[in-house]
Amino acid sequence: MNELQLIPLLPFIILAMASVVTILLIAFRLSHTVIQVTGFLMMCLVVFATWYVRDTLPEEVPPLFIVDGQAALFTGVIIFCVLVIGLFSYIYFEEREENPKEYYILLFLATLGAAILTISQHFISLFIGLELLSVSLYALIAYLRNRNNAVEAGMKYLVLAALSSAFLLFGMALIYMEAGSMKFSGIAEKLPQVSSSPLFLMGLGTIVVAIGFKLALVPFHLWAADVYQGSPTPVTAFIATISKIGTFAVLLRFAQTIHLQQYPLIIAIFSVIAISSMIVGNILALRQQNLKRLLAYSSIAHFGYLLVAFLPGNEAGTEAAAFYLIAYSITLLSAFGVITLLSSREHEAETLDIYTGLIWRRPVVATILAISLFSLAGIPLTAGFLAKFFVLSAGVQQAVWLPLAVLILTSVIGLYYYLRVINTLFGTSGTADVMQKTVHPFFHVSTYITLVVLAGMLFWIGVFPGLVLQGIRLFLLLH
Amino acid sequence: MFTDTVLLSATTPFSYFPIVLQLCAALGFVGLTMFATHFLGPKRKTSDKLVTFESGIEQKGNARQPVAIKYFLTAILFVLFDVEVIFFYPYAVNFRELGWDGFLAMLLFVAFFLGGFFYILKKGALKWED
Repeated sequence: MNELQLIPLLPFIILAMASVVTILLIAFRLSHTVIQVTGFLMMCLVVFATWYVRDTLPEEVPPLFIVDGQAALFTGVIIFCVLVIGLFSYIYFEEREENPKEYYILLFLATLGAAILTISQHFISLFIGLELLSVSLYALIAYLRNRNNAVEAGMKYLVLAALSSAFLLFGMALIYMEAGSMKFSGIAEKLPQVSSSPLFLMGLGTIVVAIGFKLALVPFHLWAADVYQGSPTPVTAFIATISKIGTFAVLLRFAQTIHLQQYPLIIAIFSVIAISSMIVGNILALRQQNLKRLLAYSSIAHFGYLLVAFLPGNEAGTEAAAFYLIAYSITLLSAFGVITLLSSREHEAETLDIYTGLIWRRPVVATILAISLFSLAGIPLTAGFLAKFFVLSAGVQQAVWLPLAVLILTSVIGLYYYLRVINTLFGTSGTADVMQKTVHPFFHVSTYITLVVLAGMLFWIGVFPGLVLQGIRLFLLLH
Repeated sequence: MFTDTVLLSATTPFSYFPIVLQLCAALGFVGLTMFATHFLGPKRKTSDKLVTFESGIEQKGNARQPVAIKYFLTAILFVLFDVEVIFFYPYAVNFRELGWDGFLAMLLFVAFFLGGFFYILKKGALKWED
């Protein structure tokens, strides 16, 4: 490792500095607003640094990291998400918690974990990134500790995530035992000799368990609904976007390096997981009356769809997956942003009856929620439709017919419950609206504007995907 | 011949046999003791046994009240310094080989560490009077 290799790591160093700076700011007793603004500026600095180091890509920092276009792309999406989530957090925590500052340390640490996952090419960095992400998430999920749901959710996540980490470590140990290397490329070299060994396959299998847990794929999905419901809404948005993007990025890199998709057995395993995720996720969401739980089940189904793009293991699949993740995170951020905005101090806006007739009371917010639900359902003119379309076309190229058929059928089922929510939005309003006094007008307005921009982006990507696609291709070429 | 190739060589699966034996012994011991104590020991089922044991004194009220847990913070601080020492030790052993690069890396580490320590100090971790 020399000084030159530090340059491509600059964005990650700044990201790590963000939490240290936040700690010092808290130590000097600065206000929530100062911390929020500093965090925002630090994240902008990360984006700027990523842009600044773009010419040095791709650069390998042996043995742990590789900073290439794909990593920069996923890191970019992660930083974008944390910018939006940080903004949502302000009004959410300012109203509920007398001590909202430590939240930002944990938020940035978890983001750092996810960002490390995108650049890791070694089991050690994979594990460190994943642990950084999950240990911060334990505390983030239970942050509003006075709520019963929060502690329950945090506890469930803690126990299950620790168990899945144990699976991950055991799988790594088994693979190391057979291949004699922890580096992805080192494993790839040894692969022809060890690929039929049962211990190696068992190792891969246990790693799939851990990854499946993080992505909430069936049959490792049971935590999803409770944790989504119990955690503070910005944290739910974090789990649904950043945590999953990071995990998926490392899965993608692992699969690309060792050419995972050339083994029929692995393809079969992932097909079964994808198909069951699509079916179970959509069916569980059908009668759900709680919007946060509904989004949890829908995210299970969506990562099933995403796995269909992962199955072919070709360029088109990677492109489709990247596009899908971008569209999906914008959609979910706007949906959770609406929930954050509507939540009052006492109640989360999670039951569907709060949303009855929302369009007549708060037309802008309701429209944004409707647009994001349309995008989740994959209605044309929204980003979700094109994302699904690219996934389908990537799958068709490699002729993975069964998952494709299930994708189309379950999308139709999905349409039902998304439209059910939209139907609720347009229903006749029974409850009179209590317009709450907004304590922080500036942050309320900026959250509002962000939501409008996000909804606009959904339309823009849905109608003119060219620019985004071009960007994705440019990034993916850097490897 | 058999003892040479199978029993004594370290590479065959058979060389794990003693571990299997030990595992059987361990499980057998636990199982047997649990079984034996369950069936052999005398049992007295009285309502007094369900009451919280308070060293013979009758209990008064609920013990679940919030208490200031200074132990917790002290323990965290202990872990903090302990980890620091763990990292210092290999550095001290390789002090000469690592040279200035190692020194700078160590300085950075200590700076981060002191940042955390400063934070916890400002939070009042060592303030004993409430």
